[in-house]
Amino acid sequence: MSQQVWKLVIVAEEVLSKKLTKLIKEAGATGYTVNAAGGEGSRNVRSTGQPSVSHTLSNVKIEVLTGTRDLADIITKEIEAKYYADYSIITYIYQVEALRDHKF
Amino acid sequence: MSEFVSLFLSQFQSPTLGFLIGGIIVASLGSQLAIPDSIYRFISFFLLMKIGLTGGIAIRNSNFAEILLPAIAAVALGIVIVFLSRYTLGKLPGIKVPDAIATGGLFGAVSGSTLAAVLPQLDAAKVPYEAWTAALYPFMDIPALVTAIVVASLYLSKKTGGDIEKVEIWAIVKESLQSSAVTALLLGVGLGILTKPEPVYETFFNPLFRGFLSVLMIIMGMEAAQRMNELRKVAQWFAIYAFIAPIFHGFLAFGLGLVIHKLTGFSIGGAVVLAVIAASSSDISGPPTLRAGIPTANPSAYIGASTAIGTPVAIAICIPLFIGIAELMLGR
Repeated sequence: MSQQVWKLVIVAEEVLSKKLTKLIKEAGATGYTVNAAGGEGSRNVRSTGQPSVSHTLSNVKIEVLTGTRDLADIITKEIEAKYYADYSIITYIYQVEALRDHKF
Repeated sequence: MSEFVSLFLSQFQSPTLGFLIGGIIVASLGSQLAIPDSIYRFISFFLLMKIGLTGGIAIRNSNFAEILLPAIAAVALGIVIVFLSRYTLGKLPGIKVPDAIATGGLFGAVSGSTLAAVLPQLDAAKVPYEAWTAALYPFMDIPALVTAIVVASLYLSKKTGGDIEKVEIWAIVKESLQSSAVTALLLGVGLGILTKPEPVYETFFNPLFRGFLSVLMIIMGMEAAQRMNELRKVAQWFAIYAFIAPIFHGFLAFGLGLVIHKLTGFSIGGAVVLAVIAASSSDISGPPTLRAGIPTANPSAYIGASTAIGTPVAIAICIPLFIGIAELMLGR
């Protein structure tokens, strides 16, 4: 059995990692996955792997699967209001098929 | 005077500075040399643990009253440095005030690597100092970060005309205390005071200290060269501030240290440690705290200023400078 769910991806500064995952859980998502990420955007190159002393210049990529588009939108709106202005952060969403039966 | 210059120059041949400069050079040349992050983290833990143990063992055998005045001086310096930056750097054309406040916070905060570098150099120069002076670290670090975040919040709320957003001071203090650098140092101090760690200290922490320090210096050098690119993207004033501020803060602290020397017999070597702590700028624990506490400030400005210029100046200029002055005062 599979089901259509929404996958919300957030690429953000590592310093925000804990705050974002807290926000995601509080919004009602059942879980999330966090990866180290690197790359380049409008706020300069941000990378992992280099011996970056403070980790202030590292990124994380957080993936959240939500059963409804509404829940994903709630999370995105909250992130937008709190962090878009001052932090390196980007969010995007797409529809995926979850293969395991799970209540999202 | 020529003696002073030769003393100063001889410091450049010390392993600490040599490795730092080596790291800067290889990274500038685009070397692929990489030291894994986990090793970097372990080394900074190890060094601060050793410094903490040394301090703790010293505190066990010393009078608590001796520590009081230097600790007050450290707190005062941490706060004053932030205001100095706010009203000098922050007044310059093209500089955003929150950037200046955050930079001041980082320069008021303390670098574990710089602290680790000055102690063996004092030993090598045979300048005596109280080993507990290393425990002054959090007394300057935390007030500087708290002051920067409070001053920035007051400035921003005044500017936007909104209500003064309540700054959770305790949250900042807690975050600083929980940071890996301060935790390692305080754990060491606690173990030094409460237990008898001499066996592991003599066989493990003390013998390996200088070797690990030299590896850390290579990492700091490489980091400095890499952050240089970011510093280029912000106003040149940050680079100028980053060069002058460590030396100025060092003299301010050295002067205070000498006053305490006259009052209570605090050693001149101790005044050097206080000066170098003031000259240093945080690399590890400060930046994430400030990034979260002053989100509007540009991290390229304050991290670039601190890591690319502030730390090399503190290690390569301030340490030999103040040790040189101390040696002159001791009549060598």
